Amino acid sequence: MTSFNFAHIHLLLNHLPTIGFGIGFCLYLAAYFGKNEPLKKTSIVLLFLIALLAIPTYMSGNAAERVLCPERKCPEDVSLNSLRGHEDAALFAFLLMETTGFFAWLALWQLRKKPTIASWNWNVILVLSLASFGLMAAAAAEGGEIRHTEIRVAVQPGTPPEPEYPGIARSIGAVIAGNTGVGWLWPAAEAIHFVGLTLLFVVVLIVDLRVLGMVKALSFPAVYQLLPLGMLGFLLNLITGMMFFLAAPGQYVNNPEFHRKVLFIVLAGFNVLYFMLVDETWIVGPGEDAPVRAKVAAVVAIYLWIGILYYGNMLPFLGNSF
Amino acid sequence: MEYLKWLEESGISTFVRESPSIFAFPTVLLLHTIGMALCVGVNAGIDLRILGFAPGIRVAPLEKLLPILWLGFTVNAITGTLLVMQDATTKLRNPDFYAKMVFIAAALIILKMTRTRVFRDPMLDKGSFSTNAKVLAALSLFFWMAAITAGRLLAYVGPVSGLG
Repeated sequence: MTSFNFAHIHLLLNHLPTIGFGIGFCLYLAAYFGKNEPLKKTSIVLLFLIALLAIPTYMSGNAAERVLCPERKCPEDVSLNSLRGHEDAALFAFLLMETTGFFAWLALWQLRKKPTIASWNWNVILVLSLASFGLMAAAAAEGGEIRHTEIRVAVQPGTPPEPEYPGIARSIGAVIAGNTGVGWLWPAAEAIHFVGLTLLFVVVLIVDLRVLGMVKALSFPAVYQLLPLGMLGFLLNLITGMMFFLAAPGQYVNNPEFHRKVLFIVLAGFNVLYFMLVDETWIVGPGEDAPVRAKVAAVVAIYLWIGILYYGNMLPFLGNSF
Repeated sequence: MEYLKWLEESGISTFVRESPSIFAFPTVLLLHTIGMALCVGVNAGIDLRILGFAPGIRVAPLEKLLPILWLGFTVNAITGTLLVMQDATTKLRNPDFYAKMVFIAAALIILKMTRTRVFRDPMLDKGSFSTNAKVLAALSLFFWMAAITAGRLLAYVGPVSGLG
């Protein structure tokens, strides 16, 4: 075993969603009851960031399992059943967390047009983040049981071994992979992945080319309306991408091209946050030039998104998928 | 069928298919994806705008994005030809491939109609769009999505290389 591996990365990252989401949620409640607008904004930025970092956290968990239990053979002090339970809780926590992240982004997007967050969205985020936090706590507790044997209930000697638990995440993956005879899910997800890529890419292109000085007749407040379309494209691709990952995790977890792709997605998330939080771009009128900082961010955005496309394309060629 | 075999065994086809270089098949495929994003993306953006999305954006300046669309289309015409040539005996016998070509042709005809009927309309950006314009936009979206789906399905339906 090498001195550093993805089990370490997972152990490092896995505290972020649990603790970070807890902090974000507390800030959210404090802002709600204190009616404090800047604090509200801080809390939704935090929820968005944690949702972003939950992506590598979830995926590194799968890699950690392969380090811990190669070929599904676990060492004696590790329970594969608690590992499956942890994976299931983590999947549901992840899905809710990403949904929360989407609505948090939507709230940020609306904040540029209205002084306060719409109350419906505020309540949606409240319910979603409460549920995500609960599931994340469950996932953390189950995850702790995998290795912290001191908190696991002692098994009486002589009791028969527990039957193997297949796991919900693995069962969903098997259906998507076509193992149960449903052959169209994977190809359909691929087609949607391309449609999502197209939507996302064109919004990135229109916004960033306008920042760089093309199509100056378009005003920024107008271009701003396009952003949810790009986010929709990203959501489609996150959902279909997760379908591939669940169906064939082995194709991805040890593939360096995939690691780079996920890293670039996280960096692109921070790039999005610049455009969401800094006003300088959006006050530029029709025919006017964007500030230099925005131009740098635009070049970085185009580089990152082409990179994400590149690494995805190269998964089977430079990497070791399929 | 002789000429399909000839196409498939030509020098350039063999290079694209068999060269271990990253600049052969992987890069051709990558360019085909980027070209798709540019071409379909720009057209989908215009279609969605006509259908009422992002009403703050004026439509007339969007015509300046058309060179990007044509850049993407040209890249894809070239890379698509290479991708078909390197597997001609299979791809050109697959009805799904011809379905894809029909979808693309339909989408291009609709783009041409959109240019004459929407962009040349003196009332552009002065009121809401006519039902005709919206129908064109919806059809354009449909045909491009169908083309992408048919393209993806080339790896799954009809005769497919590399399977059994």
